[in-house]
Amino acid sequence: MMSKYNNISSRRSNSFFGNVDKVALMLYIALVGVGILSITSASYDTEAASGFSMSHNHMKQLVWAGFSMVVGLVILLLDRRLFHMFSFPAYIVGIGLLVAVLIFGREVNGAKAWFEFGGVRVQPVEFAKIATALMLARIVSDYSFDINRLNSLFKVAGVIALPLGIIILQNDTGSGLVLCSFLFVLYREGITKYIYFPVVFTVFLFIVSFIFTPELIFTVLLIAFMAYSALKNGAIAGHLRLLALLLLASLLIALLTPLSGYTALMIVCGIAAAILGFMAIRLQLRQLLWPLLMFVYAMAFVPTCDVLFSKLEPHQQNRILTFVGMKSDPKGIDYNVEQSLIAIGSGGATGKGFMEGTQIKYDYVPEKHTDFIFCTVGEEWGFMGTTFIILLYIALILRLMKMGERIRETFGRVYCYCVAAILLFHVWVNVGMTIGLMPVMGIPLPLMSYGGSSLLAFTILIMIAISLDASANEESV
Amino acid sequence: MEHRERNTRYLYLRVIVGIVCAVLLGRLCYVQLIDDKYDALAKSNIMRSEVEYPMRGEVLDRRGEFLVKSRVCYDVMVVTDNIPKTGFDTVRLASILEITPEKLAKQLDKADNSPHAPFLVVGYLSQDAKLLLDEESFDGFYTRFRTAREYPRKIGGNLLGYVGEVNQNQLKRWSHYDAGDYIGVGGIESAYETELRGEKGVSYRIYDTHGAVMGEYDDGALDILPVKGKQIVSTIDGRLQEFAEELMQDKVGAVVAIEPSTGEILVMVSSPTYNPDLLVGRQRGNSYMELLHNQRTPLYNRAVMAKFPPGSTFKLVQGLIGLQEGVLRPSDTHPCSMGYTYGVGRHNRKLKCHSHRSPLNLRQAVAESCNAYFCYVFKDIITNPKYGSTKEGLRKWNEYVSSFGFGKKLGSDFTDELTGFVPTPEFYDDRNNGRWNWGTVISCAIGQGEMECTPMQLANLAAIIANRGYYYMPHIVKHVEGEERLDERFYKRNYTLVDSVHFETIIDGMWRSVNVAGTSRKAYLEGWDVCGKTGTAENRRQYKLNGVSKSAPDHSAFLSFAPRNNPRIAIMVYVEHGGFGSAIAVPIASLIEEMYLTDTIKRPQLVEEIKNTKLNYGYYDYQQQKYDASREQE
Repeated sequence: MMSKYNNISSRRSNSFFGNVDKVALMLYIALVGVGILSITSASYDTEAASGFSMSHNHMKQLVWAGFSMVVGLVILLLDRRLFHMFSFPAYIVGIGLLVAVLIFGREVNGAKAWFEFGGVRVQPVEFAKIATALMLARIVSDYSFDINRLNSLFKVAGVIALPLGIIILQNDTGSGLVLCSFLFVLYREGITKYIYFPVVFTVFLFIVSFIFTPELIFTVLLIAFMAYSALKNGAIAGHLRLLALLLLASLLIALLTPLSGYTALMIVCGIAAAILGFMAIRLQLRQLLWPLLMFVYAMAFVPTCDVLFSKLEPHQQNRILTFVGMKSDPKGIDYNVEQSLIAIGSGGATGKGFMEGTQIKYDYVPEKHTDFIFCTVGEEWGFMGTTFIILLYIALILRLMKMGERIRETFGRVYCYCVAAILLFHVWVNVGMTIGLMPVMGIPLPLMSYGGSSLLAFTILIMIAISLDASANEESV
Repeated sequence: MEHRERNTRYLYLRVIVGIVCAVLLGRLCYVQLIDDKYDALAKSNIMRSEVEYPMRGEVLDRRGEFLVKSRVCYDVMVVTDNIPKTGFDTVRLASILEITPEKLAKQLDKADNSPHAPFLVVGYLSQDAKLLLDEESFDGFYTRFRTAREYPRKIGGNLLGYVGEVNQNQLKRWSHYDAGDYIGVGGIESAYETELRGEKGVSYRIYDTHGAVMGEYDDGALDILPVKGKQIVSTIDGRLQEFAEELMQDKVGAVVAIEPSTGEILVMVSSPTYNPDLLVGRQRGNSYMELLHNQRTPLYNRAVMAKFPPGSTFKLVQGLIGLQEGVLRPSDTHPCSMGYTYGVGRHNRKLKCHSHRSPLNLRQAVAESCNAYFCYVFKDIITNPKYGSTKEGLRKWNEYVSSFGFGKKLGSDFTDELTGFVPTPEFYDDRNNGRWNWGTVISCAIGQGEMECTPMQLANLAAIIANRGYYYMPHIVKHVEGEERLDERFYKRNYTLVDSVHFETIIDGMWRSVNVAGTSRKAYLEGWDVCGKTGTAENRRQYKLNGVSKSAPDHSAFLSFAPRNNPRIAIMVYVEHGGFGSAIAVPIASLIEEMYLTDTIKRPQLVEEIKNTKLNYGYYDYQQQKYDASREQE
């Protein structure tokens, strides 16, 4: 791989911009543009006459956008080898910043995740994301790396877990979870299903265990696994009647004995699992072992979930509980989502028009120019506007993936995928929270939310990807 | 990893991106296009309807001067949701609102029970304080326009009534009202509530999330303006009312004066009275309780509610009935030797009279107020053989008396009126197990015994005599803004069962009583031909003073009109425990007549003397002691 770099001296600098992906660049500029428009509307002050004062949010953001463009331009001009070269130092600096903010940082909304320099707030995690993406790309692109080998996996896990741990310590779990989106990248890099499937299954169990009662989960799982077993092998179909009886018995036990329904069900499930296991061995059906293992795992995991949950901070518990509708918290998290939904919902098909959103204008939407900036789009431009924005993001994500695919080297590909994964996670969680699909996590809408450091970080993140892609293209010319 | 596997994974990942996109767009489609509840929610978020209270109508007196005015004040409202979480300067706010910080904290606690809803913190904020509040702008607090009553002359407490908040019963009874609305209580305020209250309006405004008004919704297209209450011109003569109240100070009783040619009430005093300003604003509750605890019952409108024995003033009615029934001729004389003796043997009883010459004819008997004379007349009326029995005689008598407006509400526009009582044969049957005769009921002859009248009914009697046989329903309102006429009933003459020819004799007696010789000499006004009849009513009130049981002094009453021809004022003065009719009631009535007829007072020293007369009310003092003692025990 290194040998290829020797040819780069033949680069013609005047054709470099010809190789920059225009689509990605246009999408980036479009998103920053609508972001500034939305901030203008969200920050509109009915009392201040002039819209061009520097104290206005949209003017500040405009300055930040200009600065970001300059930085972006510089990045595009940089030699891509620098990214590879500096990924490790960048990672170290990133980790250092995270630790520093943990010690010297400023607490905002309960999270100690901010530096403040003369009125400008910077969230180091924004930059740590870039560093981690670079570091991950570097590790995966190493010669000796094999994603399905244990020591490689440990490396990956370590690279992700280190910043994640510090971010959780900062009490900024929402931002930390972004790093989990790298699973998306690892899947592309061929991680075995024996790893990703249990992880996905665990996440699935984690979510459903909050929404539904354990009784229901086990009953559904029991039926699902039996149905699966029956479909996989006809031989077991004959025993289904027996299992159905067991199920009935469990319900009877649940109703008649002093045992709680939960305990009774656990007993029945245990018996069912034992029988399944017995049959799997007896009939030498290996494929039955998988559902069996999952089932046993679920039985162990769901009760553990409760314990884990009780370890969470009260505000985190609140957010999750409110999200799954188990706890009403007027004027709290629920209130934010309600107001957000009202703003977006009242936008209708075409919206109320620029600067005409009443919920925005009269302050009903909390954090309307930062985390809930999407409400401005929803209320003022309606479904037309929200669709347009979502499609811009999706197009950018798909474009980044495509860029990753066409870069021959692993480093560029992994990095592009990392950027796509980060964007996908942000869009999903941020938009999802404004329309009540996700719990409220304090993460911004990339490129659009008000905040200079966030805009700068996402610009760097994306520009590196474009740069990597551009120089790879040039090389192939 | 194989090439094929890579492509599959790339595809799957794009599918995941597609799913994310589809889920987000699907949810957005549902929220923005399908579910239409958010439009209404958004509207209800920013828009709040606020009741716009109207200015309550004013009340003028017959000369066009204000008896009741409306002044601007404000309710202070709060939506606790909109109070900043960081708190605010409660001490400062309390001082602007002129309440204690403790009271403010208590109100905010209550308001917190429904944090989204506006809650009344305190009412009756002055305009200056409101400006101060606006200036300092406390988030979550706002003001609401209201009006409060103001009384330039500070007279006519019971006459005018007061304005309070509607109570639960009233809310249930009348759909017009909502909690927090004001309603007239008692007096003119309650009688003319529908005219005075005006119509509430409503305004829709845009509020931001902090509760600050951001403008009118839809430029006020949906707003309804409040309509000011109607102005009312009262029949009361404010100056005369004030004068009468001053004369009645430190006396318990009532004065009612009526213009006989219209039935318009010129003066209506119930004493003790109170300064109506006391029942306005924040001090109303405390003032009200204080008035309620006063055993002289200042909140009780004696002028239309009291049940007083009419005493000798009733002899006029007795004489008129006798004349109409033909059992009495003006020239008939009856003897009187210090009273009227009736009954036989050991049941022999005597109804006493004061010393005067004897025998007297009807004119003289009226002038001298002879008890015996009217006992003869009354006996002759109810034992008239024409009716077969005393019972039927009494029934006929009751019919006559009722035609003078006694024993029933006069049907005035005044809502607090009570009926008084005229005994019926059935009443005596009931009380005496059917065993009674004319002797049992003889005290009715002189307005004692079971007869009970309100001062207004007696003033109406004065008007009837002044009119020679009919009356207009006494009323308190002369004109309602925007209306041509009052209710038709106030223009109708109500005739008594006594023909007008019989009145001249009685009037002559009343004239003599004032102008020639009699009990009413002190009512003489040169050139005004005042006619009058005194009354001294016995009562059964007992009290204890230093452990000794005592009987309360007689009530003092005077019924009068003037001048004799084309009378302009008919008046009734009733002073509880005032002693002889001539002692206190006559000068009060006379001074009021003088003031009304001549616009001046030529007897200032008499005015001072009357004003400074402080009657001794052993009975009420005793009641007050007992009441206070029982309250202390609780």
